[in-house]
Amino acid sequence: MDTSIGSEYDFLREEIRSFLTANGDVAVPAGPGFGGDASQIRERTLEWQKRLFDAGYAGRTIPKRYGGAGHEPDALASLVIEEEFQNAGISLGMENQGTGMFVPTLLHFGREDQKQELIRPTMRGELIWCQGYSEPGSGSDLASLRTSAVLDGDEYVINGQKIWTSGAREADMMFALIRTEADAGKHGGISYIVLSMDTPGLDVRPLMTMTGDASFNEVFFTDARVPAMNVVGRPGQGWEVGTYTLRFERNMLGRSSTTESYLAGCVDILRETGLIDSPVYRDRLLKLEGRVQAMKYHQLRLLTDRLKKRDSGAGGLIVKLNSCQLNYDVCALAIDAMAERGVLKRGSKHVRDYGNWQRNYMYALGLIIGGGTAQIQKNIIGERGLGLPREPKPAAA
Amino acid sequence: MDFGLTQPQELLRDSIARFLAQDVDIERVRRVMDSESGQDEAIHGQLGDLGITGLLIDEGLGGIGLGMQEAGIAAQEMGRAAAPVNFHSSYVLAPLLIAAADGGERRNELLGGIAEGRTLVTPVLDAPIRNGRVDGTVLYVPDAAWSDAFLLESGGSLHLLEATVAGIGIEPLQTVDGTRRVAEVTFSGIDLGAAESLGGNADSTRRAVHAAQIALAADALGAAQKGLHIAVDYAKERKQFERIIGSFQAVKHMCAEVLAEVEPVESLLWHTADAWDEGSEEIEHLAPLLKAHATEVASQAVTMTTQVFGGIGFTHECDMHIFYKRVGYDRQMLGNPTALREQAAAVMYA
Repeated sequence: MDTSIGSEYDFLREEIRSFLTANGDVAVPAGPGFGGDASQIRERTLEWQKRLFDAGYAGRTIPKRYGGAGHEPDALASLVIEEEFQNAGISLGMENQGTGMFVPTLLHFGREDQKQELIRPTMRGELIWCQGYSEPGSGSDLASLRTSAVLDGDEYVINGQKIWTSGAREADMMFALIRTEADAGKHGGISYIVLSMDTPGLDVRPLMTMTGDASFNEVFFTDARVPAMNVVGRPGQGWEVGTYTLRFERNMLGRSSTTESYLAGCVDILRETGLIDSPVYRDRLLKLEGRVQAMKYHQLRLLTDRLKKRDSGAGGLIVKLNSCQLNYDVCALAIDAMAERGVLKRGSKHVRDYGNWQRNYMYALGLIIGGGTAQIQKNIIGERGLGLPREPKPAAA
Repeated sequence: MDFGLTQPQELLRDSIARFLAQDVDIERVRRVMDSESGQDEAIHGQLGDLGITGLLIDEGLGGIGLGMQEAGIAAQEMGRAAAPVNFHSSYVLAPLLIAAADGGERRNELLGGIAEGRTLVTPVLDAPIRNGRVDGTVLYVPDAAWSDAFLLESGGSLHLLEATVAGIGIEPLQTVDGTRRVAEVTFSGIDLGAAESLGGNADSTRRAVHAAQIALAADALGAAQKGLHIAVDYAKERKQFERIIGSFQAVKHMCAEVLAEVEPVESLLWHTADAWDEGSEEIEHLAPLLKAHATEVASQAVTMTTQVFGGIGFTHECDMHIFYKRVGYDRQMLGNPTALREQAAAVMYA
């Protein structure tokens, strides 16, 4: 078995190390240790994102004509980059709706002028995106969405409501699934539309989450007019375009290096508190170690499948389910190890790591639900992975 | 980067699986399981013909000369078939201990016999050797009742004691997993002069034990995978409330959860077997961690998949209990999950 990456990547390693040294003043730390003033965090995150993109570490395969580094897709190079950043404890930059989901979709389905206009500023963090998919009546059953657009000349007039829209108030742009044809069937009448968050007729209302952040929002559309040119792909192709993006979301929610750095942080707390010597805590820690290590090597197996252009079958379907639950369980142990200190939240005197453990604990629960709930994931694993039959549709009343 | 089995390893897996499916079917397993002695006399020779008993033995000595990656594959298939053999002990621990010893001609002879499946050597770890005598009782010794020779390990040094030597008392114990048996072995003050010294050292003993732990983990994984397989097949056929039960989310989600936990264990097995083959220091924590994790996941898996069968899952007639019990044996032998986590922690967080 060959788990080496090959000496041809040594040069890349060197390059990354010098980049990280040269940019050490701006580099954003990974893991729970980064926090503080919100606007300073934002400013530094954006600056770091610019440097990463310009150096070709973010959006590495984006073609040069859109401002990217234009590298061939190379899963091993991505792994080397991930390893080096992880070893240095540095963030790989913004992985969000814009960079992680919108850009790959646009590269696949977009028109040339859309790509020219939107990719570079998105990757440099100058255009921040939010995703308008879920609606109050359309969560797990997304294709039942009802926000609609009617063509009026060369504009769509949009009415309806989106919900769980992360980052809508900070966002400059939204990509949304909108019903443009009323009678083209459940999946057939949907279009993928991009729009500016400054569009008149848009009303964004924050939705406070259990973490205490108002990271979610509701977005109301009242006769909001958007150029018909803003459709990505063909009108009516939105389900295909939008679910192509969801594949990226499933990847985004399951990076094993994130879990590993959280587990390392958890071990630090256990050492500091002396609980590392408690057999009971060690037992909990080792149970997590087993699961984290298994997922780590499972992801190497999936990477090998990708390199060999082989279908991973059921193996690929379990990553989101397992990773989100693992992140949750790692945070739970860290908080337990803090004992009473674990009750403190961000901003409080004596809080550890800016309250990130408490926040991420709840945020991980949000991710267990978001991006296809754990229960929907189990349906997918059961049906696509194990070939179990779908639940029959209820008979009409 | 190529994380996974090689083509020859996949071929090996297929050929072992084919042999087990044909010759060691569930009826044969049940006969051994329900028998008084628990012995399947023919299986050692059959595995020898296929080269499986000699996977870890040098080619020059009649073996195949492969490593733990291959032995792990074999063990996983044994678990999947619930094959009535203590593979981890007779064909992993024993040959590795002997191979690391010095015993000259006798050593080679033993390894050759194991490779052919005609010699069964039973390792006895931490044997009661004091003042030049073998004196005391050892419990839970695998395959002792039909052993040709006992390989006594004490503080790393090895002595070979033929089973015919006077003063060895063997009392078979009844195991829940009838597919593999253990015994109480009493050595009644046997002069060590009756045994042959094979040298040996503590490091190679520890290394051999790691290998046997990997084999038990692989066995549990195979049994859990087989349990899931038959449970899913059942869930695709059985109807209640005019529906295939696998279409109920309550059943479907149990199966999905089992798959999600079991699948990554295979990758951890491959990595650990690889670390053993490469002689990496990581093995000190990986072997116990793997066995703890694999058997813990497998226990949970068979608990769930038994329930997929409903009442029939609790019957002797349904095959599910065979795999359930198989995992139970793998879990307890050579360190249970709790003890092994403690052992791994001592290495990782020293």
